[in-house]
Amino acid sequence: MNRIAARELSMVIALVAIWAFFAWREPVFLSSRNLSLLSVELAVTAVLALGMLVVLLPGQIDLSAGSGVGLTGAVAAVLVFWHDVPAPLALAIAAAGAVLVWSAMGALIAIERIPAFIMTLGGLLVFRGLHWLVIRNQTVPVVEGGRQNLYSLLTTYYLPPVAGYLLAALAVAGAAFAMLNARARRKSYGFAVDDGELTFLKLFVLAQLVFLAVIVTNGYRGVPVALVVLSIVAVLVHQLVTNTPFGRYLYAIGGNEEAAVVSGVPVRATIIGAYALMGGIVALTGFMQTAYSGASTSTVGSLMELDAVAACVIGGTSLRGGRGTVLGVLFGALIMASLLNGMTLMAVSPEAKYIARGAVLALAVWLDLRLGQGK
Amino acid sequence: MSPPVVLEARGIVKRFGGLTALGDVSFDLRPGEVHALCGENGAGKSTLIKLLSGVHPHGSYQGQILIDGRPAEFRSTRDAERAGVAIIHQELALFPEMSVGENLFLGALPRRRGRIDWDRVYADAAATLAECGIALDPAARVGDLGVGQQQLVEIARAVARRPRVLVLDEPTAALAQHEIVTLLELVRRLRDRGVACVFISHKLDEVFAIADRITVLRDGVAQGTLVATRTDAGEVIRRMVGRRIEDYYPRRTREPGHTLFAVRDLEVVGPDGAARGLHGIGFEVRAGEVLGVGGLMGAGRTELLMHLVGLWGTRRSGVVELDGRPLAADSPRAALREGLALVTEDRKRFGLVLQQGVAFNVSLSSLGPLRRGLLVDRDREVKSAMETVDALRIRAQGLEQPVGTLSGGNQQKVVLGKVLLTAPKVLLLDEPTRGIDVGAKLEVYELINRLTAEGRAIVLVSSELGELVGMSDRIVMLCEGRVGGVFGRGEATQERLLAAAMGRLDRAA
Repeated sequence: MNRIAARELSMVIALVAIWAFFAWREPVFLSSRNLSLLSVELAVTAVLALGMLVVLLPGQIDLSAGSGVGLTGAVAAVLVFWHDVPAPLALAIAAAGAVLVWSAMGALIAIERIPAFIMTLGGLLVFRGLHWLVIRNQTVPVVEGGRQNLYSLLTTYYLPPVAGYLLAALAVAGAAFAMLNARARRKSYGFAVDDGELTFLKLFVLAQLVFLAVIVTNGYRGVPVALVVLSIVAVLVHQLVTNTPFGRYLYAIGGNEEAAVVSGVPVRATIIGAYALMGGIVALTGFMQTAYSGASTSTVGSLMELDAVAACVIGGTSLRGGRGTVLGVLFGALIMASLLNGMTLMAVSPEAKYIARGAVLALAVWLDLRLGQGK
Repeated sequence: MSPPVVLEARGIVKRFGGLTALGDVSFDLRPGEVHALCGENGAGKSTLIKLLSGVHPHGSYQGQILIDGRPAEFRSTRDAERAGVAIIHQELALFPEMSVGENLFLGALPRRRGRIDWDRVYADAAATLAECGIALDPAARVGDLGVGQQQLVEIARAVARRPRVLVLDEPTAALAQHEIVTLLELVRRLRDRGVACVFISHKLDEVFAIADRITVLRDGVAQGTLVATRTDAGEVIRRMVGRRIEDYYPRRTREPGHTLFAVRDLEVVGPDGAARGLHGIGFEVRAGEVLGVGGLMGAGRTELLMHLVGLWGTRRSGVVELDGRPLAADSPRAALREGLALVTEDRKRFGLVLQQGVAFNVSLSSLGPLRRGLLVDRDREVKSAMETVDALRIRAQGLEQPVGTLSGGNQQKVVLGKVLLTAPKVLLLDEPTRGIDVGAKLEVYELINRLTAEGRAIVLVSSELGELVGMSDRIVMLCEGRVGGVFGRGEATQERLLAAAMGRLDRAA
């Protein structure tokens, strides 16, 4: 067993330990209803973390993500509730605005060389102020009471049970096809591949997990649409970072920016692109998180940037850039979401929640250093 | 009778996993001698000196290390330092923001009543520098010094600890000719004071200029210890490579074609103001031709190449033409698009993404053409990477081996492979053979022959005069940002080139 495997194993053990602990203290943790809610919370945390991955890979960071979540959700909510703009249009306007603003931040970072940490720290404060300005320090619901729109459905719509199973079957079949295809290709290139049994085992575990998730969520109200959104975003981001020139450039810039420049990598365009993408993901997360709260309030999105960074780091992403995977980030997000959900169930005080989140983050980085690179 | 031995290694065997880095190496060092270690990259030189200096601790190898005839068990570099073994690594380990004096005594700064005694720091530093014959201000900021001067500071720092054994790992790799002279002078001075020096260098002329004895390593096995005055470079090379190299520089000239690359009256201001710049530079390179560019450190060779791909300085006037069309490359990306490619001298810094694999690095500059729709076409990518590995004979365990774990020669081939995949018409090669072993050097030279035979033009920057003379069809010597002289293939001798580099062509000619 190599060091990477040891690291991954320790993360699985950590997750199992967290779940076991909460299940022991609060048996309701494992109920269909709670796991269903957890999956929605996971979706919100993980989508933002996947955006953060795209920004961290080239060695940048986005500290403004959390207040951006609050702001984009607020803009959409205000358009819908106060100005009677149709929900799809409101979401589109807010999302387009976010992409523009994040592209501008990316341009300032890439072209004017303002350090990303400072630029987005400024963004954090500016967006928080704008957020409160936009909602005039009130509570702005995402929809009129008792009704539904595209905005509110983001976290309240559940697929019918049959559709859930159908989707799960499709997903597993797709994953099996992709894995076997990739394995055959790697073999034809003469690259190292897992042996057949291990490949089968991985697929088997994946299929079980997917169907288990569907069975559990069907036990409540069905597969949450937010989980479907997360799956789509995860597949897209995975494709983007591993199989497109843009994704390769992200890794190259994070690995060695000077070499990337000399190699003809469009460094500036790539970094601006990463932030533009982050803008879109911030908006998507903003809609989901605000919808999950039911209304835009002054606290929506607060500190979410740190949960996103934590999820990335726990999932093995390097803060110096050049290293990180989608699967790792999903895992890190699951750990963070589980912790928060469990602590809420146990009615842990907000003070203790902060302390626990911070401790877990530090612990994860320490484990990463001890078990990961070994350099 | 045999002379006294200060340090001895007996029957050293060192394995990394299944790989044997050193197989039964013995080696001894006498006070007041310079003992050179020669061998290709991967021959085991670095491993050996890491054992001698405690980087690989006692117990991680078999065999014995003796100091003054008594077994020594270094568990750390600190143990080795205490026993009087000081090592100067290839990569400089100085603090650029601190002064020379601070760097000399860092870790052992003299104190008075708990506070650092700055007067003594600078007095002691001045004394140490004087002792080494280094004319530097102890209060100067290290980051403001040139690489050559920093190397001297590094040695002075070791000397300040009064070592009995001084190990120098390729101390001249980054230095220009006149700086090398200063450094060798310093090593001689230390030797005459009785310090035993281990000297590692790829440059055999230096080895013969300084060494008393030479031990050759090949594939982790000692190939004998030679007395420098009773052997020659041919013998050392023969033992290093295990075969005889008749011709060091296998340049095959051919009838050049049309002018492919032209630079006229280039006036460039450097980023740090008017202090450094390029003035009135002009040259032409024809298809199938190698234009050598030489000069001392700071003459503007690297700056010229960097400027041509948009990485250095601001152009005030002058024209650059590629294949008859004006070229205005403001970035390496734009230059690559036009068919002008740069291979930098510092491959780890400017050439490679070290933690990524061979295929990743080789295809990095060509991902656009390797695309199918939105995605990178893995089949074509792997195919072209494999062809590159075969064509350049890159020795790697596979296309996914991180390039940081390859030897210097193979890393250089990966950089060359990446550039060649973009099908450039003109290649700018900055010190393409720096720090790589003899075998890989020959392969690079053969590659230069092949590329020019295909009708490409090459600008070859080198600080090794032999290489310039041996591999260039014409040579431009730069001197303080200006052209100091131009030489045809028959006219260039090392003496004349050096004279041009120092701006004294008239007197030498």
